[in-house]
Amino acid sequence: MMNILAINWANALDIVGFGISMVFILLILLVIVLSLFSKAIAPKVRIPKKNQVAAEATTTAPDNNIEYEEGHLSANDSAAIAMALHLYYAEVHDEESAIITIKTVERRYSPWSSKIYGLNNLVK
Amino acid sequence: MMKTKKYIFILIAFLFSAVSMFVSAQTSTTPLSTSGDTVQTTSITQAENAKSGTAFIEESLVNFVEGMGFANLNWQTIVMIFISCVLLYLAIVKQFEPLLLLPIAFGMLLTNLPLAGLYNPELFADGHVHWDMFANGAGLLDYLYLGVKLGIYPCLIFIGVGAMTDFGPMLANPKSLLLGAAAQFGIFATYLGAIALGFLPKEAASIGIIGGADGPTAIYLTTRLAPDLLGPIAVAAYSYMALVPVIQPPIMRALTTKKERAIKMKQLRIVSKKEKIIFPIFATAFVSLLLPPAAPLIGCLMVGNLMKESGVVERLSKTVQNELMNITTIFLGITVGATATADAFLNIKTLEILTIGIIAFSFGTSGGVLLAKFMNLFTKEKVNPLIGSAGVSAVPMAARVSQVVGQETDPGNFLLMHAMGPNVAGVIGSAVAAGLMLTMLS
Repeated sequence: MMNILAINWANALDIVGFGISMVFILLILLVIVLSLFSKAIAPKVRIPKKNQVAAEATTTAPDNNIEYEEGHLSANDSAAIAMALHLYYAEVHDEESAIITIKTVERRYSPWSSKIYGLNNLVK
Repeated sequence: MMKTKKYIFILIAFLFSAVSMFVSAQTSTTPLSTSGDTVQTTSITQAENAKSGTAFIEESLVNFVEGMGFANLNWQTIVMIFISCVLLYLAIVKQFEPLLLLPIAFGMLLTNLPLAGLYNPELFADGHVHWDMFANGAGLLDYLYLGVKLGIYPCLIFIGVGAMTDFGPMLANPKSLLLGAAAQFGIFATYLGAIALGFLPKEAASIGIIGGADGPTAIYLTTRLAPDLLGPIAVAAYSYMALVPVIQPPIMRALTTKKERAIKMKQLRIVSKKEKIIFPIFATAFVSLLLPPAAPLIGCLMVGNLMKESGVVERLSKTVQNELMNITTIFLGITVGATATADAFLNIKTLEILTIGIIAFSFGTSGGVLLAKFMNLFTKEKVNPLIGSAGVSAVPMAARVSQVVGQETDPGNFLLMHAMGPNVAGVIGSAVAAGLMLTMLS
């Protein structure tokens, strides 16, 4: 207990207070600079004017004759896509070679059907 | 599993044989040493008369036995060898940070083998390198330790860390830097705790940095402020980093409500390549100009990151991520483990450091979570407080913990990328805190 009282707490608290505030000040400065920096440099998605007009038209006039049915997927298709994605992400699917060329099968030499053997060893 | 059991069995057998040999050596050295006088007298007479082979053999045997490590084992070294075996068990079987814990534990084993002379702490006494003593014969680990002492290894590791880090999530959400700053609260709270326990300010700062959960930073600061405590601090830092999934979740659950844990965050914006390239250059200049002592750590972190992001030095980027990082990890691990000699490790200070270390981690976690909750009082877009805990830098383990705890409440909530922001900000934050400690205390 006496040891704790003997410690120069003012000095220790100064270091802590200064340290924490400096870490925060420095990182807040970095946040501000990064925010400005990102505003200046961040990629901006620009919609071409032609598309913009079309987009506005769709938002302002929702009752026009757009056929939403065109993009509709049947339940079977959705299930198949979902299953394929699931298998892909779960890495269940085998990795298959995209090459579809038929490989030549290497066979070991066997004299029983050899043409040369048959020609050289005439039946006596 | 069978293999690891086999290895452990071999280690235990080695330990057992060491103890038994020690006992036998102790019993055998006593008669030998008493007979040593007789040997000495007889050898004199024999020298006067004629050279006798028996005396020479006896003397050689005595020297051989006395020169064996077994004869010089004491309880402290046996305990240290046992501790190193426990750490090896944790690394191999439990897989607690095995990449670092395994070399650290083996370094600990090497340094505690009597008379091996692999590491001599007197060469680095009083915080200085005694170059003149190197000429008299230094051990292998003494030479390797120079990399730690001169602050080379932590910086090399930071180059690799930088090359493996993606600052994209942080750039997409710069506010996450604040969460990284809040997690450094643990460092300063622990500093006060260590002071209260009677540690000197420099020692207290080195212990406090454990709360930053950043191994290289902890080693870097400790070698500069309190090199005598390097062994216990490194062991505590890496052990607790491995225990992040155990330490953090209860604190995160205790400090948040179910509703807060279920907060879904807005998807992060796309960060352009240009931003990712400019950031490391800018951050190095900015932080180093404000806080020069942090320049080695920040500079190395950012040069590694620039190698990755620029995409023009693919070979260098791969080298620092793999070969350089691995080689440095081996040297760093073994030499840091080597500092854990019986004299330096087996004392009450180590126990205190291990205890304060866990408190430091808890404070760091709490600081991040509480600041995220505080930010929610003012911001429109709510922040899930769970990502605040990732502000302790243990990359990427702390971010994964945020993801896992978040999915306990809502399996459809994906916090990983959001948590990576505070996570990498924590690396910057702890380097800044270390720089500040160096400025104030060295």
